[in-house]
Amino acid sequence: MLATFIVNSPILASIVFTLITIATYQFASACQQKWQYIWLNPMLFTISILVPFLLVIDINYQEYSQTTEILNLLLEPAIVALGLPLYQQFKQIRFYWREMTAILVLGITVVITVSFLLAMWLIKAPEIAIALSLKSVTTPIGITLTEQLFGDSSITAFAILIAGLFGALLGPQWLSFIGVNSAKAQGLAIGSASHVIGTAVLVRKSAEHGAYSSVALILSAILTALISPWLIPLLQQLFN
Amino acid sequence: MKNVLYTIFAISICLMLGKLANYLLAALPASLYGMIIYALFLQLNWFSPDKITKTNQWFIKHMGVCLVPAGMGIINHFQLIQQHGIALVVIIFSSTFILLTVIGYLSERYLITPDNIKSKTMAGPR
Repeated sequence: MLATFIVNSPILASIVFTLITIATYQFASACQQKWQYIWLNPMLFTISILVPFLLVIDINYQEYSQTTEILNLLLEPAIVALGLPLYQQFKQIRFYWREMTAILVLGITVVITVSFLLAMWLIKAPEIAIALSLKSVTTPIGITLTEQLFGDSSITAFAILIAGLFGALLGPQWLSFIGVNSAKAQGLAIGSASHVIGTAVLVRKSAEHGAYSSVALILSAILTALISPWLIPLLQQLFN
Repeated sequence: MKNVLYTIFAISICLMLGKLANYLLAALPASLYGMIIYALFLQLNWFSPDKITKTNQWFIKHMGVCLVPAGMGIINHFQLIQQHGIALVVIIFSSTFILLTVIGYLSERYLITPDNIKSKTMAGPR
């Protein structure tokens, strides 16, 4: 009853659902800050509380996304704000930019190809394959790129989250196991595969780890944006 | 408060220029152009890094909340998860580890050497 009343008034619905989203997210952030568990990711936590909540009050996704449009609109300026860490890492990038770009281009090409082909083989749905192949970049940019290529951005958002958690939880151990121990290499690998979630974990090891990880996360986002618009259509042609 | 408005102004200008760049050049999304332009303006000191840092860091710290509506789309995919949940996890897991291995291995091999050479040459003249 109350839900119908709220949904019938667009402004009230916008205010209520945006506030619920922000409040839940704040609560989740506070919990993570208190307990410091990586898997207690605020976004994952918020989604796992809000999904059952929407199902109980019988609001579908379209209604929810219309009412929280304001948060979606803020995504663009939020991406621009990432220019600050990019500026702060200029020094690091300037010294190794050729090598780093070459390594990241190779890594990104491999990961897009592998994810796309695996997804087409196992799931056979192009929009899911596009979403999964763009999962190794930071969420706001991954979502923007997926929408640009007509993939399913909600799958991208989720896949990015899971990739982030995998890399953050198991990445450092895996890299040490295969003999990759330097701060630069560990930083670049985790930053490009597990973006912000990985960087947040790695920065506890050393400032150098954190610096390279954030360089990788920004550079790989830019390079993925340049590579994916021609690589993905090329891969799609294989299945036509 | 003054710095908050200054930061919003700086970000808005860069986003507008980003939109223009996207219109003229395509290739990258407008927000990514905006991000690069913003970093460039900070480097050139056209916008003061000292003034924007605090507000900007606040934005970055809380930007995750803007991603929740996109992530909520998963509500439409319960069937997909039921049918292909394991396949999804396998794809994400394996491709993440391939990426970690490729980048980690290549960086360990190719990014370390120049530093060693540099420290040797720097030590030389002394």
